[in-house]
Amino acid sequence: MSEGTLTADPPAETPSHGRRGGLLSNPATLFRWGVRLVIALIVLTPPLYFEPSWLRVGQYVMIGAVAAIGLTLLTGQAGQLSLAHPFFMFVGGATYCVLGSEDAPGKVGFGLPSLVALIGAILVAAALGLAFAPVSGRVRGVYLGVATLALVYVGLYLGQQWTSLSGGTASGRPSPDLNLFGIKTLRNDPEISFLGQAMEREQRVWYLFALLLLIAALLAWGAVRSRPGRAWRAVRDNESAASALGVNVPRVRAEVFAISSGYAGLAGVMTVMWYRLLKPDESEFAGTYSIVVAIAFLAMILIGGLGSVGGAIAGSVLVFGLPGMLTIMIGGNELFGTSGANAITPAIFTSFVYGAAIIIVVLFEPGGLAALGRRLKATAARTQLGSTLLSPKGS
Amino acid sequence: MRQSLKVPALVIAGALVLAACGGGDDEADSGGADASGVKTGPGISDDSITLGVMTDLTGPFKDFSTTLQAGHKMWVDEVNAKGGVCARQIQLESRDHGYKAETATIQFPDLEPNVAGFMELLGSPMIAALKTDINDKQVTTMAVSWSSELLDQPYVIIVGTTYDLEIINGLDYLLEKGDLKKGDTIGHIYIDGEYGANGLAGSKYFAEKNGLKVSEAKVTSTDTDMKSLVTKFKSDKVTAIALTTSPAQTASAATNNVGLGLNVPMIGNSPVFAPALLDTPAAPALSKLYVVASAVPFDSSVPKAKEVATKFIAENPDVKPSFTVQYGYAQGLIWGQILQKACDAKDLSRAGINAALKSSNNITTDKLVSDLDFSKPGSPSSRTVYIGQVDKDSPGGLKQVQALKEFPDAKTYKAPHES
Repeated sequence: MSEGTLTADPPAETPSHGRRGGLLSNPATLFRWGVRLVIALIVLTPPLYFEPSWLRVGQYVMIGAVAAIGLTLLTGQAGQLSLAHPFFMFVGGATYCVLGSEDAPGKVGFGLPSLVALIGAILVAAALGLAFAPVSGRVRGVYLGVATLALVYVGLYLGQQWTSLSGGTASGRPSPDLNLFGIKTLRNDPEISFLGQAMEREQRVWYLFALLLLIAALLAWGAVRSRPGRAWRAVRDNESAASALGVNVPRVRAEVFAISSGYAGLAGVMTVMWYRLLKPDESEFAGTYSIVVAIAFLAMILIGGLGSVGGAIAGSVLVFGLPGMLTIMIGGNELFGTSGANAITPAIFTSFVYGAAIIIVVLFEPGGLAALGRRLKATAARTQLGSTLLSPKGS
Repeated sequence: MRQSLKVPALVIAGALVLAACGGGDDEADSGGADASGVKTGPGISDDSITLGVMTDLTGPFKDFSTTLQAGHKMWVDEVNAKGGVCARQIQLESRDHGYKAETATIQFPDLEPNVAGFMELLGSPMIAALKTDINDKQVTTMAVSWSSELLDQPYVIIVGTTYDLEIINGLDYLLEKGDLKKGDTIGHIYIDGEYGANGLAGSKYFAEKNGLKVSEAKVTSTDTDMKSLVTKFKSDKVTAIALTTSPAQTASAATNNVGLGLNVPMIGNSPVFAPALLDTPAAPALSKLYVVASAVPFDSSVPKAKEVATKFIAENPDVKPSFTVQYGYAQGLIWGQILQKACDAKDLSRAGINAALKSSNNITTDKLVSDLDFSKPGSPSSRTVYIGQVDKDSPGGLKQVQALKEFPDAKTYKAPHES
């Protein structure tokens, strides 16, 4: 991930494209494209080779990545702590179901085209984030974290009470099928085959999520490197100074909260599609939109490095991906003795590994994986080959 | 600009070439028949039948599942010693989802191609999350949940009496005993969600039928202090308390029932009680609780239950016994009969197994659970219950006070998906 090592504060001057002369003759450019090729392969080929359960882990990682990118913009770039991401995910998922499903007995549905429902879900989540501006504009730091935590409880309550929208905790409501220009995502309709591999649900959802993640990441990178990103960092570092520079602080704070909520809303739609079900949680401590998930997102951006988009993705691989991967790898093995009251089962083992990973990263590299990447890059750049390959564009 | 497009084009071309080298591996596991003409399917080999188990060995249902699995294992060992089913040995392949829906969602496609059906899928969040998968793969699944809301699912088996019918039977029992009469008020504490809503449907039906009132008290699954609710019940002058709660909530409700001087009898669905509660300070207050379940209490005098219990204690001297031992064993007996039926019809494919289930109108388990009828879609497979009173001195914590019985209101009740 060449962009994965993006710094929290990228250099102000980004060398421009469009140099004369053969692009391919420049080893640095060639190397950059080589890295992109590897990433493209990592993203594009698994559906051709991997079992559905592995694909589901990958899809889940992509959901976490989208949400974590939203949170890293808010917390890492703009300095606002939020634990409300699960709430906005729930709002996004519920809006998608309400807008995209047909009316059913006891359940409200508008029957809009699913793509409209998807965009509507993001907009509604962002609008609710904006509506939270009076709070997010006034409260700072840990206090904002606690204030946003309240929203998780609001989500829990609404999900349980407002069953005509949420479907209720009992059985929930099914996810609308995303119809992407005639191609259904959750059903084999029409049947497609790609390089001899039938594109079934897991493959389709993988590619769709990869596309959504790509768009989400590109937008985030764009924002971080340009004017909005500079405004966010200015507000984060010193509000008075930002104000003196002409940044409208309350407006920027509200804006970034709304954008971050929009990301969470998209992650919520992806969650509903992943489960093929919207189901409100039965308790605030366990479930899809619970406090545990809010903490998991925080862990992702901490592990990845606050403010780094690539780091958020890497953090999601670790936090959302690792337990799933270990579960499948250990799977049916009787290695740990899955019977008996005191056996160490994969579920326990994975929580140990996951916990240890967080401690190790925070202990030895407080800047997270992003800082680790930067350091590796700097070390590599000191070598002869590295300095040729990693030289910035245009040099 | 034109030049810079060269590179992305190369990237994509490269990706395609590499991808093409791999191709896809086709799955072809369905269909086929063995030498004796029995049609086979996933999870069926020439000498074995594999059933899947998705359980919770690390989450809130750890104790429940541990004894349930012990019951499965006893049945598997027994049936395999007798030569198995359809001349095939039974094998179980199990996964621990830790009561996490996302883990179960990831495990399912990994496990599903290897199994003929699921012996156990525990937990209503997991069942909800996997409902579409189960339907898509047409895999017959025994759910460890007793919600009648699930009865519209063609591939889901619910063994025994549903939560609504448990409550109706329990209240009928109190009515017969004279603890309840017309005009009384019943206090019902229930967890918001499928479980609680289904239990509440039972008490509402009973109250309407018999001219009583229900004082409803909704809790979330993490609430543990029931004091305010019992206080409310006291001011409502309830004469009985119905519980559709978790064991910890049961303990609090029972303690406050005695502590606040209300002292009314309590009935509860099968999941409200766990033997571990008897090691808590709530133990004395719990003796007012009658647990209504389609599964036999561990300490019952039913011969088969005794036999299984004796064997369990001999094999697992360190594990706290529970009714789930016999229930797990009964699940095995049921699967054995369904598989035998499918074998007789020479079709062990998934469709064949489901057809065998649909035609099973008289499955018996030597009274470990009542006789079961799976042939009527939407209708619970049984309406009869055992009633056990909490008793510190009985192994498993329950003393049987009522043998299998179908009370009159349970007979007339119509389940949500019943036609």
